Amino acid sequence: MAPSRGHFRRATFRSIFPKPIVQSILYNRRTLSSASFSQELANPARKVQSYISTSRDPYLNLSIEDYILRASPADSTVLFLYVNRPCVVIGRNQNPWSEVNLGILCSKKQSTSAAFGHVDLVRRRSGGGAVFHDEGNLNWSITCPRSQFTRDTHAEMVVRALRKLGIDRARVNERHDIVLDQGPRQESVDPVDTHRTSYTVQDGPRPLKVSGSAYKLTSARALHHATTLLSSPNLPLIPQYLRSPAKNAIQAKGVESVSSPVSNIGLDVQHFQVRLQEEFAIVHSSSEQRLVVQELGEEHLSIPAIRKGYDELRTNDWMWSQTPQFTLSLQPYLDLEISIRHGIIQKLEGTAKMVEEWRSALLGHKLQDVRSWSAFLQNRLDPWTNECAVLANYLEVHLPVPELFES
Amino acid sequence: MASRLSAARAVRQLTSSATRRPSAFVCQRWQQRPQIVERRLFSVSAAIREKKYTEDHEWIELSEDGTTGTIGISTYAAKALGDVVYVELPQVDMDVVAGDTIGAVESVKSASDILSPISGVVAEVNSVLEEKPQALNKDPEGESWIAKVKVEEGVQTVLESLMDKKAYEEFTKEE
Repeated sequence: MAPSRGHFRRATFRSIFPKPIVQSILYNRRTLSSASFSQELANPARKVQSYISTSRDPYLNLSIEDYILRASPADSTVLFLYVNRPCVVIGRNQNPWSEVNLGILCSKKQSTSAAFGHVDLVRRRSGGGAVFHDEGNLNWSITCPRSQFTRDTHAEMVVRALRKLGIDRARVNERHDIVLDQGPRQESVDPVDTHRTSYTVQDGPRPLKVSGSAYKLTSARALHHATTLLSSPNLPLIPQYLRSPAKNAIQAKGVESVSSPVSNIGLDVQHFQVRLQEEFAIVHSSSEQRLVVQELGEEHLSIPAIRKGYDELRTNDWMWSQTPQFTLSLQPYLDLEISIRHGIIQKLEGTAKMVEEWRSALLGHKLQDVRSWSAFLQNRLDPWTNECAVLANYLEVHLPVPELFES
Repeated sequence: MASRLSAARAVRQLTSSATRRPSAFVCQRWQQRPQIVERRLFSVSAAIREKKYTEDHEWIELSEDGTTGTIGISTYAAKALGDVVYVELPQVDMDVVAGDTIGAVESVKSASDILSPISGVVAEVNSVLEEKPQALNKDPEGESWIAKVKVEEGVQTVLESLMDKKAYEEFTKEE
């Protein structure tokens, strides 16, 4: 368990492929053609596979990942690492209006409020809550047979990799996430125990979350993917993106995020990436041969299944209409409640004066088709009263529909 | 076990791509559909009406007149999933092909697909699960069914290939 930090300091990082320290992995910089990637991935003889993406596109990386889940041999274990450009990623069954501050994602406002360019909005296929990604965050995903799957196994492996780099406060918590304990150092604990550290305390400073997990299960396969906050320069901005002004006004079915205080681990992304690839090779690859790490990227968008998944993730239907049923209350401004199912306004209830007129203007409309509520309502309502303006402003703030990505 | 899993699963893996999700992406298929079974099938035998199970842990039971199949997930599957927090139901009138995703369940940060063992058209969904997803943990093989599908001709052949309760119990012991 001796930390190998010293060795890494001597390593030089010329490209995204730093030199492996332990001789358990081998980088293959030659890009596989789409046809050979498909073939290699599905090859039943390849029980352990390791890939890394050169793309920063969250839609592409999630689609490659989904392709790995569906096309890899049923008894194989596959590691896939990727880093996304700044984006907010919500869980499959979440409500973007209540989980994300969509107002600051509207592109015009973005350039002034954020230290970086456009922040993409993505709905992933796995469960769980909303997270923020940027270049200081390494995403790891492991696909394995469903029969071998537990929610902790892979997180435990990642904790071992972190501890080998000297991060001795890291452990897996009861939510299957990775946290850094913040208590004072106490007696030594069993170093093999990945669920407890010398800094674990019952009462005291709250552990800081550094990695969040989510899963996608198919009949034979299980995908576990997670973020790893290593060195995000945007840490102070994260809460601003994940705090919605509509949170209290929306009653949503589906899955609410559990917000946790987060921290950077304080490691270089490439540094940790190699350590993790090595740990994976040590755990899963029994042969004497080194495990080849294969590069994937934009060129693999030509694989039809990846293209299909990519296009689907970028549709407004997947982002907005997939939202579980919810209601928006306009109290205390107006006695009105709007009910939305499959992204379509289904019901308006309340005693507001113009509720009948509003019904005929709004019922049956898809939220994703409205880019400006004021313009939309002004075109449909006559006379335009103060109450109409209140409604329009409220919808502007609570139900905005920003562009998902920069076109 | 591996050989039993292989063929059927391989086909399902290929056919259950994400684009076959229930909502939002229902494509009108241009092909001529097989005839929907509207009247009583005289060939419906007791054996066919028996509850059957798939290797993906769904169950299916034909209605008395043999025109509708009720689909749900097995008690074994519900236990394995843990606390269900959301059930994504298909839309009524959606066309399904055997192996298609007709819904999804979220539990403990995991999304799991529900596959339809048969082809047909979704006739009814269990909306109670939308209000009370946790009901799926309580009575997965009874009140918490997922969807009813109007079956097509040829459903018998599919059902005959599935496991009865006893075979399914054996199967889950092996897993």
